[in-house]
Amino acid sequence: MGILITLLALEVLALAFFMDTFLKMKYPHDSLITALSGILFYYFLIDLLMRFQLQELPTLKVQPYLHLRVKKNTLIRYLSFASLMSFFNVWPFILFTPFLLKVVRVEQGLGIAALFFVSIIALSIFNNYLSLYIKRKSSLNGWVSVAFAVTLGLLMAGDFAWHIISFRTPSIWFFGHLNTMPILVLIPLALAVIMYTVNFYYLKGNLYLEEMGSRKVSYKSSTEYPILDKLGPVGDLIGNELKLIFRNKRSRSALIMTVMFLLYGLLFYTNKVYSDGWKVFCGQFMTGVFIINYGQFMYGWQASHFDGILVSKMRFTDFVRAKFYLFTGISTIAFILTLPYAYFGWHIIAVHFAMYLWNIGIGTTIVLFFANRNNKRIDLSKGAAFNWEGVGATQLLVGFPLMIAPYIVYGPLAWLKHPDIALIILGGIGVFFVLMRPAVIKFLEKDFNQRRYTIAEGFRNK
Amino acid sequence: MIEIKDLKKVYAGVIVVDVPHLEIRKGESIGLVGNNGAGKTTLFRMMLDLIRPERGEVLSNGDNVAQSEKWKDYTASYLDEGFLIDYLTPEEYFYFIGGLAQQSHVQVDSFLATFSDFFNGEILKRGKYIRDLSKGNQCKVGVAACLLQNPELLMLDEPFANIDPSTQIRLKNMIKDLNKSRGMTTLVSSHDLNHVTDVCDRILLMEKGKIIKDIATNSSTLAELEQYFAVGSTSTTSVTEE
Repeated sequence: MGILITLLALEVLALAFFMDTFLKMKYPHDSLITALSGILFYYFLIDLLMRFQLQELPTLKVQPYLHLRVKKNTLIRYLSFASLMSFFNVWPFILFTPFLLKVVRVEQGLGIAALFFVSIIALSIFNNYLSLYIKRKSSLNGWVSVAFAVTLGLLMAGDFAWHIISFRTPSIWFFGHLNTMPILVLIPLALAVIMYTVNFYYLKGNLYLEEMGSRKVSYKSSTEYPILDKLGPVGDLIGNELKLIFRNKRSRSALIMTVMFLLYGLLFYTNKVYSDGWKVFCGQFMTGVFIINYGQFMYGWQASHFDGILVSKMRFTDFVRAKFYLFTGISTIAFILTLPYAYFGWHIIAVHFAMYLWNIGIGTTIVLFFANRNNKRIDLSKGAAFNWEGVGATQLLVGFPLMIAPYIVYGPLAWLKHPDIALIILGGIGVFFVLMRPAVIKFLEKDFNQRRYTIAEGFRNK
Repeated sequence: MIEIKDLKKVYAGVIVVDVPHLEIRKGESIGLVGNNGAGKTTLFRMMLDLIRPERGEVLSNGDNVAQSEKWKDYTASYLDEGFLIDYLTPEEYFYFIGGLAQQSHVQVDSFLATFSDFFNGEILKRGKYIRDLSKGNQCKVGVAACLLQNPELLMLDEPFANIDPSTQIRLKNMIKDLNKSRGMTTLVSSHDLNHVTDVCDRILLMEKGKIIKDIATNSSTLAELEQYFAVGSTSTTSVTEE
């Protein structure tokens, strides 16, 4: 998550600071403020959707206090305010403040900019409690979440597909009139307060952990992967790791992220603005995001049973070999899934292939080298979205060589007009490291044996 | 089988384990007792090469456990839930552990069949991951996984703490039986003095990292231990003098 968050943060910052430019491009005929006003309600609609998908219910936080002499109201207030400590509530600050200061303050004065600001924050808070309320409701009754999703879907379809409603009109009306009718700011404020109160009383009536948690009891069956049996103990280890990924929330989201990143190419390849250098970036990400995103926390995923691993008969070489196979397998699948990008030209596939080789050769090696230096435990049961647990200096250190190294080769050669030679070199280095794996594994084993006590001790610290 | 030489572990300036010499012979059944913080688990962890001692070494069949990995072939241990892969079902876990010891699924199944009493219908085919089992049932999984490996040396840290009385009695009988019939060396720590004096023929009493008593169990051992723990650690000297 570390690298991805940094990347995402940079993108959001760029969006925030150049929002006026983007808006001008999209709506050349409107004034800047009207253009922004028009998109705000859409923003909140998407915000609601994202929150519903990703925001965590801060429920278990109260468990240690439930039996103590603390008033229920205090606990609920604590829960309610704790839920505000979410990345989703920081976003609007970062996203809109530059624009408000750059444009609204200049054109309509600081007072109106402040009204914009308050309205945006109030609507964020409204969304915050609305999504939590619906999430809590739906953990009791699954149909609630279906109904909610359908409603949101209908709203969007009603706007974009059927054109029977428009969010743009009320959005422009509301934010457009803030300057003549400042009193309007009370509407979002009232909405926020009402939603907070609804949430408050709902929690008060339902403060039972077993009902609030989203624990569903279903029969868990044993799974086997017959193909992996042929690989002996290494196959067993890969099987276990796959189960780890599928059966735990946080690792599952790392995998889902991998799938989502496969769409990254659409962002760049559909737009002629981006040069060939971006293909390297896209290729590296799309075929290697799993290595980066999952690998950077190794072996923290297995922290909770690391002692068991150490005393077991498993050999470390098998342990590492399993990781290499896993990375290679998933990267290969990712590469195959990116083949349709050939639609944008076969050259893209050549770039992807070079970066795929680079990833399975160098990416895996770097990630596992740093895994020996990582002693931060990961709690598998928590979601991945904006979860900073397990993120430390190591993750940033992994990030740099992983992300930058290809450009050290590619940059100068592309500048000398030989980008294809750069690709051949990158792919070649990748293949070289794949062939060198036995030596790499030996090195990693020696390195691990020096550090295993530190790693195991770190993993024991909850 | 095990020889500990001059073993010492210090955390933040406090000596947690300090064992100048200890020898455990093959086939012995040893109970480790001592109040919280006496260093029992730390000693176990050092014997399993999970933490690095400040000084000294643990030899298992003559090899230093920190250098050779041979001990893993005949040692099975369960200290806490950190030894279990908790997102697997118990069956998957047993097959995995069995696989590491080159056992086929069929062999594992036939072994598990002998555990139906011990499991009491709460472990196998329940459709739960290990993480969804109670602590007591997790302990059963851990102990069974140990015995599945057919070890020569078995190490259990407070195995009686979370399991129900019936299982406690079954576990005691199992340990005694394996010790007698197969000569399995066992090392069990416990806070339950009754159990430990019942199962073990040699008791080590730890206090502040030191082994202050090393006694062969006889009819008066339980009373002796009870006396030590009843008055607490302040009067150690008087107990040792007896």
